[in-house]
Amino acid sequence: MNAIDGTVRQVKTDDTPPPSLLAIVLDTNPHAWAHLSSTLPLSSAIANLLVFINAHLASGNANEVAVIASHSRRAQWLYPTPKGPISHHPSSNGDANGDIEMNGVSHPNGSTTTTTPAKENANKYRPFSTVENAILSNLSNLLSSTTESDLASTPTTLIGGALSLALTHIAKSTLLHSPVDPLASDNPLSALADSESVARTQRIPLTSRILIISVSGDLANQYIPVMNSIFAAQRKRIPIDILKLAGDTVLLQQASDATGGVYMKPERPEGLLQYLMMAFLPDAVARRSLVMPSAGGVDFRAACFCHRKVVDIGYVCSVCLSIFCEPNLPGNLCLTCGSYLSLRAAQTATPALVARKKKKRKRVAGTDSATPSGTPAATTPMHP
Amino acid sequence: MVSVPAKFNKQDGMLKLVAEGARSVTWTPVSGSSPQVNVRIPEITNLQQTPATAAKASIRITAKDNYTFTFSSGNAREDQQLVTNTLRQWIEAAKASQSAGSPATPAANLDKGGGQSGAMAMARAIAGAAATTRSEEDTYDDAKLLKDVELQRSLLNSSPALRQRFDQALRDKPDTITIAQFATQFWGTRVHLLRSHAAEKAQGLGTYNVLSVVKPQHVDGSIKLNMTKEQIQLIFAQHPLVKRVYNENVPQIKEGEFWSRFFYSRLIKKLRGEKITDTDNLDPKLDKYLDFDDDDGQARQLTMPTVPRIIDIAGNEQNHSQKQGNRPDWTMQPNSYDKVPILRTLNRMSEKMMADVPPSDAHQHAPAGMDEETYKELQLRDLQRSEEDNRVVLKIKDQSQLFAAGQGLHTSSSAAAYAKRTPAEVLSTINHDMGKIMSARSKAGGVNLETVIGVEDDSSSEDEAKPRKVVRIGARSTRSAATSQIIKAIKQRHLHNDDHLAFHAAGSGEQAAKYGLSQELFDSLAMTHNTTVEFLHYFWSVYLSGDPDRAGEVGRLIETLDKSLDRIKAIADSAESERSAKIDLLMKENEAYAKRTGKRRRFDPTKVEGGAQAVNKMVGPLKRAIRSAKDQFEKSLHEAMAQTAALTSRTSEVVSNH
Ligand SMILES: [Zn+2]
Ligand SMILES: [Zn+2]
Repeated sequence: MNAIDGTVRQVKTDDTPPPSLLAIVLDTNPHAWAHLSSTLPLSSAIANLLVFINAHLASGNANEVAVIASHSRRAQWLYPTPKGPISHHPSSNGDANGDIEMNGVSHPNGSTTTTTPAKENANKYRPFSTVENAILSNLSNLLSSTTESDLASTPTTLIGGALSLALTHIAKSTLLHSPVDPLASDNPLSALADSESVARTQRIPLTSRILIISVSGDLANQYIPVMNSIFAAQRKRIPIDILKLAGDTVLLQQASDATGGVYMKPERPEGLLQYLMMAFLPDAVARRSLVMPSAGGVDFRAACFCHRKVVDIGYVCSVCLSIFCEPNLPGNLCLTCGSYLSLRAAQTATPALVARKKKKRKRVAGTDSATPSGTPAATTPMHP
Repeated sequence: MVSVPAKFNKQDGMLKLVAEGARSVTWTPVSGSSPQVNVRIPEITNLQQTPATAAKASIRITAKDNYTFTFSSGNAREDQQLVTNTLRQWIEAAKASQSAGSPATPAANLDKGGGQSGAMAMARAIAGAAATTRSEEDTYDDAKLLKDVELQRSLLNSSPALRQRFDQALRDKPDTITIAQFATQFWGTRVHLLRSHAAEKAQGLGTYNVLSVVKPQHVDGSIKLNMTKEQIQLIFAQHPLVKRVYNENVPQIKEGEFWSRFFYSRLIKKLRGEKITDTDNLDPKLDKYLDFDDDDGQARQLTMPTVPRIIDIAGNEQNHSQKQGNRPDWTMQPNSYDKVPILRTLNRMSEKMMADVPPSDAHQHAPAGMDEETYKELQLRDLQRSEEDNRVVLKIKDQSQLFAAGQGLHTSSSAAAYAKRTPAEVLSTINHDMGKIMSARSKAGGVNLETVIGVEDDSSSEDEAKPRKVVRIGARSTRSAATSQIIKAIKQRHLHNDDHLAFHAAGSGEQAAKYGLSQELFDSLAMTHNTTVEFLHYFWSVYLSGDPDRAGEVGRLIETLDKSLDRIKAIADSAESERSAKIDLLMKENEAYAKRTGKRRRFDPTKVEGGAQAVNKMVGPLKRAIRSAKDQFEKSLHEAMAQTAALTSRTSEVVSNH
């Protein structure tokens, strides 16, 4: 065929591992970090994280990283620095960081702080220092803009929002990497179809993963957004790794289990770097050939939609799958979708353990025959 | 008897469902003593209720008159459900017994004229047909399925895995539980299997092209025909011509001879759609029927009464392109019969067979012939605009508005830990900490990561040994602690074989070896686990049934669970003896080695895996499940006892007062 029209067409297949995007969600809840300050201060954690990021960037030429701070009242980009709505002052200090704008972040309260840009260190690999500078200055801006009232209002962090940001970033990067459908790239003929005599490299899809470094508990009240993110990640085959430095574990353990990520709750948080390097550095491709550490028992319990309590036995709306902790809903209507929901039949009968005495008592006809299908589900006790 | 407050004609009163004697619905006003309304159940022709979303909960009973009752208690919606459910059951029962005797009342259930209230919607049509569909549903009724021993036996026979489980559980059941009770418990947790098996069994084989199946065989030089009565009937049904030939010839020719001649005649070749050649047998008696049409006058009307234009080949005649001077089209012409007889025969056979099968793609009670739906089907829809979306829109409310989504600082699980610092202190701690790294950065032009992470591999070990209050971040001890934790986790995953692919590849022998158990022991442990889970299922289903008649069963199931614990213990014991035997063997080998070489190998018996420890570790969750079942049982038993005691003492008081 090539001989006929004189063109040479070939598909180059790349043998190198596909580029890997690591999206890190860093829980910056000040309460928790202040509490941890004696064992693992935030600054050390950041430094360890930077080393880990450098290791990730160094292990592949095309590897990328994104860092999102999950703060107490909002989720904030640490790297790359968003360029959009943030106004920046024209300043004299040159464009030291390539195309990343990071000078002057306007604050909600009107004041503007300009961080002193770090001098370029000639001994540091430039991509490393770019990431380092962006993360450090964005983080210090974030912390200096945190007010006491922000902290007083919530004990936890907006993990749901940060997770969504990470997922949207991954989706965008995946598209940028392979504008054609990733499925089509499996078939070299589809690449031929629109090319004229250009040798084209087969596009290799980006492999992405999310690492959540979590220090906060009380995540159950974000059960719905986090669960939605988990399902999205599951669909996109994005593993969610969890490094749980502090706080209760209910929700995030499910996230790593459902998406096939790694879950670690360090016994010695001081060895943070070792945990990061050993358990979280391999990307999805490398993990196929490795045995990754296992979490053991996973707490699969869900949180009810009405009080965000973690429940052992819940009642589920048959229409929208909302979970409720008690069967007595106001007006028997589902709180989420408003469907009529008679949960009375799903209630388990009180166990009768003493045999009834023979009495001449007529049974009330059909008092509880509304739906005979409501079989009570027996539950096995959870891991402690 | 059900009795609920309800309004009738804007008067307050009580609506009663009388179960005694002739079942009926009565309504008595608050002011009166005798019922104003009294409807007997068989008289009811229709029952309607307001939908769950309506403001008022009411039902309308149609008998000779319309009666509309509005439930007036605080629990109106529940009352409505209760009354309609009970009434529905009664009405169906009445219909069923009625339809056995007299023909069902003509469908008087259609909601004519819309009624007086728009909110009234059809609750359920109680047509005469309902009785028949009901009885059909009844074969899948839980209680009936549980009683059907034949069905259960047949299901067990069809599923070896289930049979094995059944036998195992039957063997392990305590003597106090009768076989009948056991069977109820076993099948009680598997009604869905019974139901699907019943449905599977209810499906029969349809008709088939019988002429192609019956083949005469040569046995010892004579022709033998193996035909069943059903097959002959089927031949007659499918080929009216054969029936006619048979009728006209059989007394003259013997039955057996007729069939053997028929199966070698030209006639059967024609009926099968094969080509008749000159070498074929001549049979003057049968050959004269060759030109008769198989589908004689009494054949059912099989073809469509009207062929839609779009698939009507004969319709091409209308657009006679030849008249415009084109060559006759040779593709879409109706063919003559002789060209490909087999295709025609097969098509005709299929038509005949399908005529007996209820169409699965159409509504069963739809009008015959081409209806609106079929017409729409045949339209070229891709040329039309897309249809309107008819999905039901779910209105999801914003959850955060319903309840306070946020948690206060003081309700949090970490409240105690966070309370040590005020928000201001928190901020200053963090800022102070971050200040260090930021200032270092601006001085040195970037962070010196090497120093910040604190990894100093040349830090001497005596430095570590010094008692320190704070362990340095990144110190060697912390790093090795981290390593061992991760290695442990990796080993754990490897042991559990979480990878599904690997799991299927590895047999139970390999699994057992990982735990240091023999396969035999491992298998019996797995079996015990299975049956124990089975009994736990029974326990919870009986325990939660709330049926006082089964109270005795619960106690016996608890005994069974105790026995399960004994069984686990027995396995653990034999695992332990297995392990000590293994250790003995290794010791002896070591002795022999030492004698032979004069060197002693180091041997640590604690390194030998398996034994009771391995077993107990594996069944840990199971034991916990048993314990929790027992705990709950004992707790509720205690409460129930206390309650009965209180009750009896009260009754005796009442008695003494009299
Ligand atoms: Zn709740
Ligand atoms: Zn719902």
